[in-house]
Amino acid sequence: MSVQTMEEAHKVIQGIRFTLLSPTDFRKLSAVEVQAADTYDEDGVPIVSGLMDGRLGTLEPRQKCKTCGNTASACPGHFGHIELAEPVVHVSFAKLTHRLLSITCRNCGRIMLSDEKIEKYRIRHADLKFRLNTIPDAFLDEIIKDAKKTQQCPHCGQKQYQIEHGKPTTFTELVKGEADAAPAPVRLTPSTVRERLERIPDDDLVLLGMDPKAARPEWAILQVMPVPPVSVRPSITLESGIRSEDDLTHKLVDIIRINQKLREALESGVPINIIQELHELLQYHVTTYFDNEVSGLPPARHRSGRALKTLCQRLKGKEGRFRGNLSGKRVDFSARTVVSPDPNLDINEVGVPLDVASRLTIPEKTTATNVEEMKRLIENGPDNYPGALYIVRPDGRRVRLEFVTDRKVVADAIQPGFVIERHLRDGDIVLFNRQPSLHRMSIMAHRVKVLPYKTFRLNPTVCPPYNADFDGDEMNLHVPQGEEARTEARLLMQVQDQILSPRYGGPIIGAIRDSLTTAFLLTQKTTLLNRDQVSKLLAAAGYDGPMLEPAVTRPEERWTGKQVFSVVIPLGFNFISKSNLSTYYKCQDCDRGVMHECPYDAFIVIKDGILERGVIDKASIGAEKSESLFHRIVKDYGAEEARRFLNSVTRLLDRFMILRGFTYAFDELNIPDATRDKIKKAIEKAEEKVNEYIESYRKATLERLPGQTLEESLELYIMNELSRARDVAGEYADQFFNMENSGVIMSRAGARGSTLNIAQMTASVGQQSIRGKRILRGYRGRALSFFKPGDAGAAARGFVYNCYRDGLDPIEFFFHAMGGREGLVDTAVRTQQSGYMQRRLINALEHLRVEYDGTVRDSRGNIIQVRYGEDGVDTAKSDHGKAVNIDRLVERVRLTMKKGVASSKDYVEDEVEKAREALSPLILNKLRSTLVNAKLPRGAVDEAVAEVIENYKRALVEPGEAAGIVSAQSIGEPGTQMTLRTFHFAGVREQNVTLGLPRLIEIVDARKIPSTPNMTVFLDAKHRTSREKAQEVATQLTHSTLGDIASSIESDITRMRIDVKLNPQAMRDREVSVQEVRDQVKPTGCEVKVEGYRMEIKSKDLEIPQFRRLANKLPSHHIKGIPAVKRVLVLEEKGEWMIRTEGSSLALALEVPGVDTTRTTSNNINETAVVLGIEAARNIIVREALGVLEEQGLDVDIRHVMLVADMMTSSGEVLQVGRHGVSGEKASTLAKAAFEITIPTIVDAAVKGITDQLRGVAENVIVGQQIPMGTGLIEVSMSMQRKGGK
Amino acid sequence: MVKKQDKEKEPSYDVFQHDLVPKHILLKPDEAKAALEHYHIRPFQLPYVKVSDPAARAIGAKPGDIIKVIRKSVTAGESDFFRYVVEEF
Repeated sequence: MSVQTMEEAHKVIQGIRFTLLSPTDFRKLSAVEVQAADTYDEDGVPIVSGLMDGRLGTLEPRQKCKTCGNTASACPGHFGHIELAEPVVHVSFAKLTHRLLSITCRNCGRIMLSDEKIEKYRIRHADLKFRLNTIPDAFLDEIIKDAKKTQQCPHCGQKQYQIEHGKPTTFTELVKGEADAAPAPVRLTPSTVRERLERIPDDDLVLLGMDPKAARPEWAILQVMPVPPVSVRPSITLESGIRSEDDLTHKLVDIIRINQKLREALESGVPINIIQELHELLQYHVTTYFDNEVSGLPPARHRSGRALKTLCQRLKGKEGRFRGNLSGKRVDFSARTVVSPDPNLDINEVGVPLDVASRLTIPEKTTATNVEEMKRLIENGPDNYPGALYIVRPDGRRVRLEFVTDRKVVADAIQPGFVIERHLRDGDIVLFNRQPSLHRMSIMAHRVKVLPYKTFRLNPTVCPPYNADFDGDEMNLHVPQGEEARTEARLLMQVQDQILSPRYGGPIIGAIRDSLTTAFLLTQKTTLLNRDQVSKLLAAAGYDGPMLEPAVTRPEERWTGKQVFSVVIPLGFNFISKSNLSTYYKCQDCDRGVMHECPYDAFIVIKDGILERGVIDKASIGAEKSESLFHRIVKDYGAEEARRFLNSVTRLLDRFMILRGFTYAFDELNIPDATRDKIKKAIEKAEEKVNEYIESYRKATLERLPGQTLEESLELYIMNELSRARDVAGEYADQFFNMENSGVIMSRAGARGSTLNIAQMTASVGQQSIRGKRILRGYRGRALSFFKPGDAGAAARGFVYNCYRDGLDPIEFFFHAMGGREGLVDTAVRTQQSGYMQRRLINALEHLRVEYDGTVRDSRGNIIQVRYGEDGVDTAKSDHGKAVNIDRLVERVRLTMKKGVASSKDYVEDEVEKAREALSPLILNKLRSTLVNAKLPRGAVDEAVAEVIENYKRALVEPGEAAGIVSAQSIGEPGTQMTLRTFHFAGVREQNVTLGLPRLIEIVDARKIPSTPNMTVFLDAKHRTSREKAQEVATQLTHSTLGDIASSIESDITRMRIDVKLNPQAMRDREVSVQEVRDQVKPTGCEVKVEGYRMEIKSKDLEIPQFRRLANKLPSHHIKGIPAVKRVLVLEEKGEWMIRTEGSSLALALEVPGVDTTRTTSNNINETAVVLGIEAARNIIVREALGVLEEQGLDVDIRHVMLVADMMTSSGEVLQVGRHGVSGEKASTLAKAAFEITIPTIVDAAVKGITDQLRGVAENVIVGQQIPMGTGLIEVSMSMQRKGGK
Repeated sequence: MVKKQDKEKEPSYDVFQHDLVPKHILLKPDEAKAALEHYHIRPFQLPYVKVSDPAARAIGAKPGDIIKVIRKSVTAGESDFFRYVVEEF
């Protein structure tokens, strides 16, 4: 077609270089020298050579720019300049200036190192550059430190003085006259500083890591100030007609005014102190113009008292230029409204209100085939759906249909080649999003379904990935405008393609709430349906086969619910599993594997697509359940079938819910008096027990728990007793309720609520707690004035006897509110913390990508992982983390292949061996053992091996995968679901271990010392057999001080002696001999005498203060053990004795005899790195992080944790995930600036003349280019043929 | 550098016996070259390990060497990794 226009050549920014501008550059770039400190005159006309000079660009829409002649939309704006009367220091470079001044000669400007040293460093410089490709900052610091030491210039012999940096912008030289005279401080004026900097030769600068071509140091002292174009600082006209100027303009006015005064003063020969004052004022204004948050300077303020937002403030922070306008922007073609559920929608669909659909548009090109339709749309116009809003003619002119009077005429003029921006229609692809967008499933592509009313509608099974509910949640919708964007969204982002989460390799989408209740009810054994009901259900499920045979024919024909449900299960599907229900029964059969005849129908058997036994509930079709019925369907039949299944299931279940009805009523919380009595008695009994504890505490007969005070022990006993009371009460209630009870049905099906919730409603609410302890705050010794001080009884510390059904009394209500408040605060704090952790993780890993050779590399091309996840398998394509589900595969092969003679073991092993190259060792071994046991015929073995290879290949990651982002999301997203609970009681004996979100943050922070350091000390063969042997080692580990083993330490200052009475019992416990004490206690200047268990320390020549210090320090004097180890716990685990310590010192522990040096570990990452090396540290990071996640019941694949650990350890030392670690090492200046340390990053880049190569993600987002990941990585190159050729 | 090594006592145990420490192998120049060529990289593009690292010291690695680490892997059974030995600052 001839109307087709050529696309414009696509220009790509290859890099952005940061440099300093020289005064000459400033003048060259300037369009005006601004001389007047004024903006507009009385008529509102810009003053010539003023701050709003027309040559600085134009703001008014129809005004032409005096420099470039363009109108506002095309004029980029032009810089002006101010000639400063005196040079001024630039704040951001003050530190650099100071550094240069202190290491260069004040006379000749050379760096103060001898020529030999310079040559030595230069060689080292080149060597490092060659071997590491960068110059580490530590090396530059070394040079600087070396040069600073010099007192006299090795080049010209000039004596040097120390230069002090008076923050923020003054420099003083401490000139020493005579040898012993006090140094005289001499203030260095910016012009002197500038002169000195000018003298530094280029070659010396290179040695300091600077690029003299990009940044001569004297350019950091300003002689000329740039004046930004007006478009950067537009003035706004208020409604009242008053002009209001931008903060920058205000600041520039100040600068020009003072500059003029200073110039006049200089010219008229005013006293020097006045000139100095003016100069300082100018310096202040220039400083605050750049950065109004400099420490040591009062910020410049607006008349109203508001601090001005100057240049640095414009760039920095969340709402700054980088984060607020460059990394993320406001967009067109989007909509936002409340969401509500609609199970009749396809999971891929989104219901869009008509009002929204007729405001959002999609550009559609008119072709010969659709021209008639387009005409109709245009005739309908903007208000009649389906219509159109705009027409774009081939010449690029836009016609807004709203303003067209006769649309018929316009419609008739349409020809192929016109682009019509038509209303959204059914079937269009849109992106649907709910904030916070914590993982990639927070934005998915849906197909539009235009519906009446005002809300977005979505299928309730799609709630989990968005984490949406319908209590008023709003969601956003975006309409991709380009053909490529739509195609990509359709192919990659549709809901059906996101069913499997990359976090754990299982379905994240699935039935929730009522669907689960209904599934449970429908598939119960007792559900029998008549012909009418079955017909309705089958119709809802979309079944179009022949009517099912009734399961019961007499007295009347009846169908079971299982029959109906079977209709939606794919043919030929086999599945065996436990249901959610089974978790409520503690039967032995289940554990023993004899489950097929489950009395509760809790064991699911599906044969050839027929549900034979078992109820369907959360464990089968629920969201976020791995290895479930639904998971198997997605894996075995693909996304399309999974979508069909889910659609049928939700519609079928919805229909059944309508037929049956479901409610949970107040009546159902009723329990008979007999049960109530039992509950009451149970609680009373517990209360008695509590009182007994209190009594024995008073009598001091209470047994103290190890490592706890008596008070703490009492609290633990009581809490334990009361929580048991609540459980017992709940059990009684639970025993009364049967499966008819709606609450029970919901909790058993996994739809909502738990046994605990039911117990709280019907039996007793139980103990309220704050920070894991009973409530004790408010008054002194009591929570409320209703109680006696010190009352430790159940009621006084927040035990709620009543149940929700009966209602709480006022005191209980108050306690309950206290507990409830803690919950709310907790949630608020947690979301913040986990949000920031997520941001840091994303920023640290965003640029990691899987390359074509299977390595994971950063944007520099540095290898982070040699093979992604060590086996190259993409978690999203895996089967719950495993590349291939060999058991299931072999089972399937067995069922489908012909039966025959079992092949020999050798044959199997040979066949498997052939696959060695293609599979990971783990899969290979598993395949071998499974096949050997399976005893399949030869053909089946071949088939199985071939299929495993094929499936393994299919599970591999694709090149270009944004592995870093996926992993960061997978670890960050569950952060919000973690409890903030800090402490955990490990095992029977209590040990404080930080867990949950705080611990995870600690790990990624790579703290030098974790908040609860501990070691797991394994013992060698000799010591692990008995408690006594283990205890021997434990005493070697425990830190004992003199205070620990002494019964009294008394110091007598008059006689200058200290008497220590040793405690034989304590010494025996800690296995400290008197000899050891004698060896350890040898204070200087003292005489020590030991007689039996009495020790006498007598001062020989100590002064009184020294003696006092000694007396104070003596109780903490080290006697034995490892100082870091505060407490040890000897315990038996898996049949061997071992030791847990509080406090960690791996290096020392490994040297203790009896300790197993092959298994003993510490939870301190940095310590492990020092003692066992970086690889061990990596393993500890993986282990600790995975441990935290597992403990919280969160399913995160190990590959994600490994990637984070590898990233943190790739520099050979453990780096933090954050600005001082991994993110600080990023290649891109822009990406670093957009993260946290905006200004220093840019300053550093300018001084070094760094070029941002734009290879990562954040920097390409900033410049608006395609990001080099995934589909954005692919480029089409075409070999150009010579003209003469074919 | 030498001073530092003197100060730190050599451990009495073998780090490689520890569960957390995988096997480290010092690559010969030709092996190192082959590995680099396989990934089309210069040595500094590999992850680093410091000369002062206990495992690196135990096999006597010097700056510029390449160490092959054979990791025990939960996902793959066994997996190779490389680290480039660098001096410490």
